[in-house]
Amino acid sequence: MSIDLETFKAAYAKWVEEGLADFQAGNVLEVVKRYPLIVSEEVPWTPYKGSPSQQTLALVTSGGLYLKGTQPPFDTASIHGDPSFREIPKTARQEDFGIAHAHFDHSLAERDINVIFPLQRLIELERDNLIGRVAQMHYSFSYVNDAVSLITDSVPTLLRKLKTDKVDLLLLVPV
Amino acid sequence: MGLIQRMAEEAGFVTISMGNDAERMAKIKPPRALRVKFGRGSMFGEPGNVERQRRILMDALEALRTMEVPGTIRELPYPWRRPD
Repeated sequence: MSIDLETFKAAYAKWVEEGLADFQAGNVLEVVKRYPLIVSEEVPWTPYKGSPSQQTLALVTSGGLYLKGTQPPFDTASIHGDPSFREIPKTARQEDFGIAHAHFDHSLAERDINVIFPLQRLIELERDNLIGRVAQMHYSFSYVNDAVSLITDSVPTLLRKLKTDKVDLLLLVPV
Repeated sequence: MGLIQRMAEEAGFVTISMGNDAERMAKIKPPRALRVKFGRGSMFGEPGNVERQRRILMDALEALRTMEVPGTIRELPYPWRRPD
């Protein structure tokens, strides 16, 4: 990734310093508008080969999903957000999910988690042989601004897990 | 989410993301994306609309197979009816 982490760290530290009071006062959207987004000009690309009916697909959401009772919720108060992720097994069902994310209305997902995490629909596509395999494990992040921890820690860990599980295709669903 | 997608694509996964905000998507520059007309917290439409959810997943599989230009964002036509 052609990102200058040191430059980002400096810009991010300044953003936190200047935005903290506003963030804590609840003016999140105003603060986020000033976020020093990291995007390299070049768009990375892996050419597609094969057929989904022969491949393994995993879901990644940033909806703040966790398994109630067995996993801790995300930190929803910090201006840094929470760079960790939760592993959601293929067997998870509506009643298993908690949502820890302070910046979207949870009411629709609480009625039907498939609106942000369409695991049941994917399992049906697997049953109909339109997807080769729905991965055994899927992943949820939450609200996060600390991109340094994402780049140096969480995302490399996630990618290792996806490789180990022989995932080919990723569907990413923000909120 | 954009950062995660780009790192995954760079690591050799074929990725597609959902989005509903054209301006934000233009800034994030995802490798492949579908843009929907649905509100926040509901990228696959209305709760309980099984057919719609399935349709969008089929659209995503089709897009994975057929998009050839890095940074392609395809708009889906489905209207948003926020449930009561």
